[in-house]
Amino acid sequence: MTWDLLLLPLLACLVLTGIHAYLGLHVLARGVIFVDLALAQVAALGMTAALLAGHAPESNAAYAWALGFTVLGALLFALTRENTTRTPKDRPAPRNDVTRDREDRPATRNDVSRDREDRPATRNDVSRDREDRPATRNDVSRDREDRPGESGARNRWGGLGGAAGAPQLHQEAIIGIVYAVAAAVTVLVLDRVAQGGEQIKQLLVGSLLGVTRDDVVRLAGLYALVGALHWLCRRPLLSLSLGDDVRGARAWDFVFYLTFGLVVTSSVRIAGVLLVFSYLIVPAVIGTWLADTIARRLAIGWTVGVVASVAGLGASFVWDLPAGATVVAVFGALLALVAFARALARLVTRMRRDGRRALAGVGVGIGVVIALAGLALAALPHADHLWLDALERGIPRIQLAFLSDRERRVDAEARAAIAHGTGELAKLRALAADVRWGHRDLPAEERERLRQFLAGRDELVAGDRLVLATLRARARERQRFVLGLPLAVAGAVVALASLRGVRH
Amino acid sequence: MLTPLLVAATVIVAATTTDLRDLVAAVGGDRVSVESLTEPRADPHAREIHPRQLARLRAAQVLVRIGLDHESWLPRALRAARATPRDLDASRGIALLDTETARLSADRRPHVHAFGNTHYWLDPENARPITALIVDALAAVDSAGRGVFVANRERFLRDLDARLARWRRALRPYAGTRVVVAHDTWPYFARRFDLTIVATVEEQPGVPPSPRHLGALIAQMKTSGVRAILAEPGAPTAVLARVAAETGARVITLVPSVGADPEATDYLALFDVNVRRLADALAR
Repeated sequence: MTWDLLLLPLLACLVLTGIHAYLGLHVLARGVIFVDLALAQVAALGMTAALLAGHAPESNAAYAWALGFTVLGALLFALTRENTTRTPKDRPAPRNDVTRDREDRPATRNDVSRDREDRPATRNDVSRDREDRPATRNDVSRDREDRPGESGARNRWGGLGGAAGAPQLHQEAIIGIVYAVAAAVTVLVLDRVAQGGEQIKQLLVGSLLGVTRDDVVRLAGLYALVGALHWLCRRPLLSLSLGDDVRGARAWDFVFYLTFGLVVTSSVRIAGVLLVFSYLIVPAVIGTWLADTIARRLAIGWTVGVVASVAGLGASFVWDLPAGATVVAVFGALLALVAFARALARLVTRMRRDGRRALAGVGVGIGVVIALAGLALAALPHADHLWLDALERGIPRIQLAFLSDRERRVDAEARAAIAHGTGELAKLRALAADVRWGHRDLPAEERERLRQFLAGRDELVAGDRLVLATLRARARERQRFVLGLPLAVAGAVVALASLRGVRH
Repeated sequence: MLTPLLVAATVIVAATTTDLRDLVAAVGGDRVSVESLTEPRADPHAREIHPRQLARLRAAQVLVRIGLDHESWLPRALRAARATPRDLDASRGIALLDTETARLSADRRPHVHAFGNTHYWLDPENARPITALIVDALAAVDSAGRGVFVANRERFLRDLDARLARWRRALRPYAGTRVVVAHDTWPYFARRFDLTIVATVEEQPGVPPSPRHLGALIAQMKTSGVRAILAEPGAPTAVLARVAAETGARVITLVPSVGADPEATDYLALFDVNVRRLADALAR
């Protein structure tokens, strides 16, 4: 029954995924990671200015102000580009086949991408990779099209390297400055405005659960328009983002930042800056890790976005958590999972090549961690040892073995009392809630009795928890050397043995 | 008799909120100069200290504050101003609500105000003990003014009593009405005017409610027929609008502090506004 509460938020998330996974690829290729935060803040500043001009925060005039400021921000970013990103002029720009090439790439490129995954993406590897590319690909400009992120970076620094002269600025610096100044000026203006400060704050925080059908329809319509525009102008826009020469670069840059600003300021109202940032960057990063072409990256990005939306909203329902923050956390978890899988895949290939020696580094790491955990237990037995807590929860004997018979009895009693007490608390709380909601009637003195009893029970359960904590502290005092020192030694042995493996 | 040519110097008072400022002004009359250190709109938990506040704190002979954990920024400001005014914690005279949280809570649920709910100025009856404390604090600095302070307070309380009778009359038809609140701001107000708060939408201000909490809330509101959601200007509008749309309840925006709404010009006007808005909304 409460699931239908999540339907509109889920639709909103899917709409966000559609446009943001795509724009994220642009943002990543351009290396302007925080431009969305900056533009959202500029829009918030616009809305604050509207308050100062005497408009209500939710009026159309305020929205127009926000939009106007976004246009100014887009203009600013388009203008500062010329001085920041550099595109070598001497390179031929085969603009015409850029997108086509990227979209229907022959399947033979698979081996290259697989090859690339197996290695850390350092500059050296990239160049090595480029050397054993098939001969047809040795044309420099074509090569560049394949890797947006790298080529953009190479471009910028490549332009720097030789006789370029004056040092270049990263556009990210400008973006950061715009963000900080816009945020600070917003604070200054809000300090002077009697009303509406909260709405401005909500503009940046968003509220995924508060989304309405109108919101979703409006967003979907707007993003369909933006998507169509980007599809029609895909050649100049993509080439530009990938760092190629385009006629009228400034104008196209303005188009890009304008549509981007429009999307971001609209999304942020619904979802908040954290969520919008995640939808923009995480799918694009995972897509860039796993695929070579724009089309495939986009497909992967969309999949990631859909999975994170569904999993995040589901988890927020099941575990009773705030929705937006949960989706962001799921994005983080997905990214970590993919990174871990890639590392594992690399490890497996290295094992195939080098045998067990490939595991030496992992062995050193594990050994050092074990040794440190053991040392920490020996040195600071009363600190928080989360690994030991978890272990004892799974295997209570690890702690019980260090307690006397009497202490074990107390431990069992306290646990039983906690189980009983929490059960009773839950029942009484439900009763109290029923009374409050009017499902059940209770005379005033009975209500007071219930309240007092709840407080008392609560305290009793907490007391039993304290007993358990005391017993655990005693056990830790005894585990200190019996458990800590052997662990430290064992860890050191593992690490040293693995280290020898590395040397051989 | 000769009237003394020297007019007593005014007592300089710093109040942490506009509500306390008004109560101090009501008692002190023209023998005090009082300013509020905060704007009613600003988030009391996360504020940056202004230079003006520091100057005011340093000049102040008396500091009147809400107390409990309401002004987390104050110790830092006092240190920064190197000020040691006579300190009046207005919560000392109040029977606090929401203190029943056990000293050790069994389930470590977040609890915003561990020492009791701090919004006690929203019960107009609490103006009595607060103004009594203010009389003593002012008289400790300006002993010659005690008579004036006592007289001022009595006049203020007479006005309060007259209005309190009116407010009660206006809300008597709605006694026992069940309401949902956006934040934990209204327990004192609700108790005084006999409203029953059944649930909070956002238990931790700034942390949006989980879908399950929201779903259970909406279901309960429907079955119990709860028709009113009390909110304040800083409440999460989108979520409240959603709950209201699903349940057919009405969001009633009340004013939590003097100056937070143009109509709430002083402490008594604050209740005039709130009672009128509430009665109008519940009548429909």
